[in-house]
Amino acid sequence: MLVWILFLLCQVGAPALAQDLCQRDAPNGYKVRISLKTALGEDAYEWNQSEMFFFQATMAFAMRRHFQMETYNVDNIILCVQTSRVSFWFVVTSPDNTTMLIPKADVEKAVRMSRHRINNAFLLSDRTLEFLGIYPTLAAPVNPDTPPWLIVFGVVIGAVCAGIIALLVSSLLQKRRKEKGMTEDGQDEEDMQVKGVENGINLDGTYNRGFTDDDRFTKL
Amino acid sequence: MGKDAARAEWDNPMQFVLACVSYAVGLGNVWRFPYLCQMHGGGGFLIPYLLMLVLLGVPLFYMELAIGQKMRLGSIGAWRAINPYLGGVGLASVVTSMYLCLYYNVINAWSFWYLFHSFQSVLPWAECPVNSNLTGHVEECERATPTQYFFYRETLDISGSIEENGGIHMGQALCLLLAWMIVYLFIVKGVKSTGKVVYFTATFPYLVLIIYLIRGVTLHGAINGVKYMFTPKMEQLANPTTWINAATQIFFSLGLGFGSLIAFASYNQYNNNFEKQAIVVSMVNSSTSIFASIVTFSIYGFKATFNYESCLERVRLLLLNTFDLAEDTISLENVIHWIAELNRTHPEQFASLGGRLETCDLEAELDTAVEGTGLAFIVYSEAIKNMPVSQLWSVLYFIMLLLLGMGSMLGNVIAVITPLSDLKFISRYMSTKTLNGLVCLFCLLLGLGFTTHSGNYWFTMFNDYGATFSLLFIVLIEVITVCYIYGIKRFEKDVEDMLGHRLNCYWKIMLAGVSPILLIALFIFYIVNYIQGGTPTYQAWNKELGKSVVTEYPPYAQAFIGLLLASSVCCIPLTALYTYCKKRNLASGKRERTVSTVSA
Repeated sequence: MLVWILFLLCQVGAPALAQDLCQRDAPNGYKVRISLKTALGEDAYEWNQSEMFFFQATMAFAMRRHFQMETYNVDNIILCVQTSRVSFWFVVTSPDNTTMLIPKADVEKAVRMSRHRINNAFLLSDRTLEFLGIYPTLAAPVNPDTPPWLIVFGVVIGAVCAGIIALLVSSLLQKRRKEKGMTEDGQDEEDMQVKGVENGINLDGTYNRGFTDDDRFTKL
Repeated sequence: MGKDAARAEWDNPMQFVLACVSYAVGLGNVWRFPYLCQMHGGGGFLIPYLLMLVLLGVPLFYMELAIGQKMRLGSIGAWRAINPYLGGVGLASVVTSMYLCLYYNVINAWSFWYLFHSFQSVLPWAECPVNSNLTGHVEECERATPTQYFFYRETLDISGSIEENGGIHMGQALCLLLAWMIVYLFIVKGVKSTGKVVYFTATFPYLVLIIYLIRGVTLHGAINGVKYMFTPKMEQLANPTTWINAATQIFFSLGLGFGSLIAFASYNQYNNNFEKQAIVVSMVNSSTSIFASIVTFSIYGFKATFNYESCLERVRLLLLNTFDLAEDTISLENVIHWIAELNRTHPEQFASLGGRLETCDLEAELDTAVEGTGLAFIVYSEAIKNMPVSQLWSVLYFIMLLLLGMGSMLGNVIAVITPLSDLKFISRYMSTKTLNGLVCLFCLLLGLGFTTHSGNYWFTMFNDYGATFSLLFIVLIEVITVCYIYGIKRFEKDVEDMLGHRLNCYWKIMLAGVSPILLIALFIFYIVNYIQGGTPTYQAWNKELGKSVVTEYPPYAQAFIGLLLASSVCCIPLTALYTYCKKRNLASGKRERTVSTVSA
């Protein structure tokens, strides 16, 4: 009888004891905040008891993964202070002694290790599934061997160099051709001025139409 | 002034017009005019602006083109031909243009830097880089914004003040080298190559502006910016600063006094109708300013709306998290309503929010007026990073900045090279290509000083003091020389000789009367402002605070400012004195011979 009364008390007392362990601002607990609508918009699922159970299972998995020796169960993860924001507090009890809480630091290590798996389980990200106090490790910057800007720079400066060399060489060739005496290449300004009417506008005298080749102009 | 058998010429008048447009339409149209519009009452600013264009801008532009086309020489030779004592005016123009060449190409170097960095999947100024132990972002970036961090730390690697020099930033030096090589490529064959390049540099920026206009006005929130800009605040017209800023903007936007316009016009044919071209180019320049400011303000509106809505979103999250309400209870529309509601129902909890609750104000966001490099490289890149397909818009934008900057650089460099190549002792020993190369190399080497860690502070000094005051003085002397020393009658006859018809009274009244008076007023204002301003100051970037602080220039920097101003202004009296002494030596006992002006 006495045993039976004790057993009843334990059944009633255990949850009450659990509630004492998990409370708002518990020293070894973490607050979790979930933003389903921000993450999933129209496809957001409803947060209900089944999801809470899933969370407990995921956390138990994370603790098992980290500690490897100890077998954590869903009962070891205690949740409380649920709000409509969707936020709640949780604490982790040791599998050997349900009254003893796992220290904050160990829980943090476990969460950090399996963060990616936890996020994916709920289709959320570091920003929408927040463990307040555990900051996500940011992605390491990708450092390529050659910075990409240098590549574009190299291409452009190569093109400009080629352009300059082409212009200088072409004018050098032109000068050499002129020196050799080939005068049909008379694009220089001096030639144009000296030659007169046909190659450009005559600045020096009046245009004597007596010497025009009229047939040229009627061909249009 | 005889016949120049060997002088190069533009292939057709269109090239000359496009060269002038390319030179006049520069970065100032994009980053200074919208700022002035915003500061001085939006749409109402157009009244003083257009008035100053008619009274000051167009007549002076006309005068410079007339001189260049008549004398067919660069600024030194042209002014020496007008009056031997005032050849110093041309020399002062060349010195001022040289200063401009030195620092202006650094802007092109920055544009290249940003352009090359746009070819990445995530724009580097979109996010803060992570710090070394991967726990958070770099501190300096957290305190400032990612775009500011990218400009001040990664682009410039700026030091804390003008005294701390540091070494040269290699990336900047490479970009500056590229910029000068491109300038050389454009001018290597003189006006033959420049004439072809200006087809592109004058027209392509308009294409980009139109694309940006379409993109800009379709952005969310753009209409807020455009409405803000065009709502005229007529009371600003009573403020004299408005009128002075309008005059100054017209003056510098058209590029008067640098000698570039004289140089461009000197390659014209003698009978070219520069009157029509002067009006066309001035109109095009002003309409481009107005057009560019519509684009700028639509982007401002987008940025302000984006920041305002981000602020509202942050407040919303803060409220949701503090009061643990379900996500869909507060939306962006009713945030303000909920603030009042929660303050009423949960006063103690609300008070615990304290300083974390931001006040979001769209007007305040729109009011942050910025000009200059801050606008182009910080504000604009912040707006671009939030656009969809931001890499494309970034590339387009910086290509436009480059074309505007390069077009103006062409004018600046030609203003230096033309008078130098007119001098007999240079043209005898060097070909144009070698001269061009030497000038570009010289400017590159000196310009490397602007790529050091304190380079931006020297840049700002040159920008603020190198050309502003000296130009006013130069143009004032120019107008007085042409109208009163050379004589308006002689000028009229020269113009009639070139154009075939006389100067009508608009030009005569403006040149001889209105413009000199306005210039004298501007000049007096500048002197008064300078004296009243006290010690000159600059904005130094403070790494710890993550923002700019106002710092005074050290004494040697102030002396350097004085040197900058004096070096160009003193050319005029010193040359007059030199010519006077030379003439006196010749007159006293030596054989009389005509002082030969430069013949090219």
